[in-house]
Amino acid sequence: MRAVICPQFGPPEVLRVADVPRPEIAPGMARVRIAYAAINFADIVMIEGAYQKKRPLPFVAGMEYSGVVTECGPGVAGVAPGDRVMSFEFFDCFADEIVAPAAHLYPVPDGKPLTEAAALPVGYGTGHGALEWRARMRPGEWVLVHGAAGGVGLGTVEVAKAMGGTVIACAGGAGKVKRALDHGADYGIDYTAEDIRARVLEITGGRGVDVVVDPVGGDAWEASLRCVNWRARMVIVGFAGGRVPQIPANILLVKNVAAVGYWWGDYREKRPAMMRDSVAKLTDWWREGKLRPHVSHILPMEEVTEAMNLLVRREATGRVLLDIGGEEA
Amino acid sequence: MRALLCRQWGPPESLTVEEIDPAPMGAGEVRIAVHAAGLNFADTLMIAGEYQRKPPFPFSPGLEAAGVVTEVGAGVTRLKPGDRAIALVDSGAFRAELVAVERDVIPMPAEMDFVTGAGFGAAYCTAHGALDWLGRLAPGEVLLVHGAAGGVGLGAVEVGKAMGATVIATASSPEKLALAQAHGADHPINYRTEDFRARVLEITDGRGADVVFDPVGGDVFLTSLRCVAWDARLVIIGFASGTRQKIPANILLVKNIAAYGFAWTQYRREAPEMVYDSMERLFGWWREGKLAPHISEVFDLADAATAMRRLTGRQATGRIVLTTGLD
Repeated sequence: MRAVICPQFGPPEVLRVADVPRPEIAPGMARVRIAYAAINFADIVMIEGAYQKKRPLPFVAGMEYSGVVTECGPGVAGVAPGDRVMSFEFFDCFADEIVAPAAHLYPVPDGKPLTEAAALPVGYGTGHGALEWRARMRPGEWVLVHGAAGGVGLGTVEVAKAMGGTVIACAGGAGKVKRALDHGADYGIDYTAEDIRARVLEITGGRGVDVVVDPVGGDAWEASLRCVNWRARMVIVGFAGGRVPQIPANILLVKNVAAVGYWWGDYREKRPAMMRDSVAKLTDWWREGKLRPHVSHILPMEEVTEAMNLLVRREATGRVLLDIGGEEA
Repeated sequence: MRALLCRQWGPPESLTVEEIDPAPMGAGEVRIAVHAAGLNFADTLMIAGEYQRKPPFPFSPGLEAAGVVTEVGAGVTRLKPGDRAIALVDSGAFRAELVAVERDVIPMPAEMDFVTGAGFGAAYCTAHGALDWLGRLAPGEVLLVHGAAGGVGLGAVEVGKAMGATVIATASSPEKLALAQAHGADHPINYRTEDFRARVLEITDGRGADVVFDPVGGDVFLTSLRCVAWDARLVIIGFASGTRQKIPANILLVKNIAAYGFAWTQYRREAPEMVYDSMERLFGWWREGKLAPHISEVFDLADAATAMRRLTGRQATGRIVLTTGLD
């Protein structure tokens, strides 16, 4: 079968499409014919060799996909051949087929396309966990989302609205801010033209926000620390801006603020029931139209380097997918 | 009335005891004859001008007092003259008579003496708020308490046990650790002579602590990040070490760790109902014998400087209380 191989750590140009042996089925596992796979920012970090989860080289890249179950190993219950599913792994998703634990597969509702399904679990799942598990966000709270036009950021904006928050979306450039507003954000801040702290205080009447979801780090984090309400929870999702904050503990103390580290990738292993509940909730919201996954680019598997570079160059206006087996999968 | 006064920022020796006129009282306020007042580390910062709140001169330091209500202003409903009460205030407790807003005054159990009451509120409320509101400490979890023989630390040991946790206590001497154990700590660690990270990992079979209560700060906090469990909650109470650490955000991220800053006094001002609930719970545990307030020394107001030096020299264990001469 075809698969995207990472033979050495480096930029997206290192990736190769190659023929590899089909993975073997095993007890508790299911084989899925992959329809679409989504590109995540974490894929880029992974092939650079900088992700917190490692596997010896060479490996098959890819973290998120949709597809159709074709075979189940012994002892599998609740999943059957023909089921349309979506899921995520740390590796192996940019391939014609994947063999994954059946417990990792989430059903795609009838009538929902496999394109949107491929873009659902990671972005929305990360946003939901940040707000529900880490920040314990309550309806009526103010939520500031950084990187709000990115995969995780846009998912967080929509989930925060579904949970009853008032959302301030922060992004770089008027086009990106508009995208976040189109996805439900109540207010937008273009940090390339506006002062984040001053605008947040103006929008909230001097009160500051209750929750911050920050996949960016660096300056975005530092500005946020100066426009939060007391008892704020600031969720650290990543450092897409390239700089890891060194958080002054005395500021957290005098302002009664929490710095909440968050790595969603660990939850399925550590808290499987919470993860299943989260994906079920997201699926309900998706069915109800509260979540609207937006796919802006679909490229063939052979163009994986270009697909990733759309994220590297920050040109993607929505989720970028690889078409692997397509709707016919 | 006798009052301890701070007339300029300075060391404890610059405080004076003076005779001053009674303070005026207005609507919504309560006048209390102060029998005893609890000394806190924050008092030593406040008189030096190093605390976030800086009252105008001259002022009396002191964040908590116990005594008897002598007068109530118009509109006061929760208290009446003759009530025994604890006052938890922004400053002003170290004087024979205190005027506080009703919100800051809490009726005290009839069977509690004033010295105990004076040292009860701030330490136990800080411990309870940190462990319950922020740390969400669950029965069976492992709690690591630093500075475990100090005022708030010893309170956290007792509250942690009352909440059903296994408590690991760190302190700087065998005497302090013996005190923490006498108040319920399950595992003592002397951080002067032992590698506390290695010991915590050993005690928890490599898993690490679930909740950390840290009034010490600096390297103690940063080392704690390396002996906590997945999804740990670390509560920042203060910086008795004198070092205000910077926390690397990437360490928090990879282990799903949360660092909570906690300044309890803001809850008292902005969410007093949470503090009343906390006090009810704490009084209940005290009646059941689960909390045994340790008052290590009692000084007269005139000896406040000596008392404060016990805290700044990190010599004190448990609580130190000042008395005004009323019995």
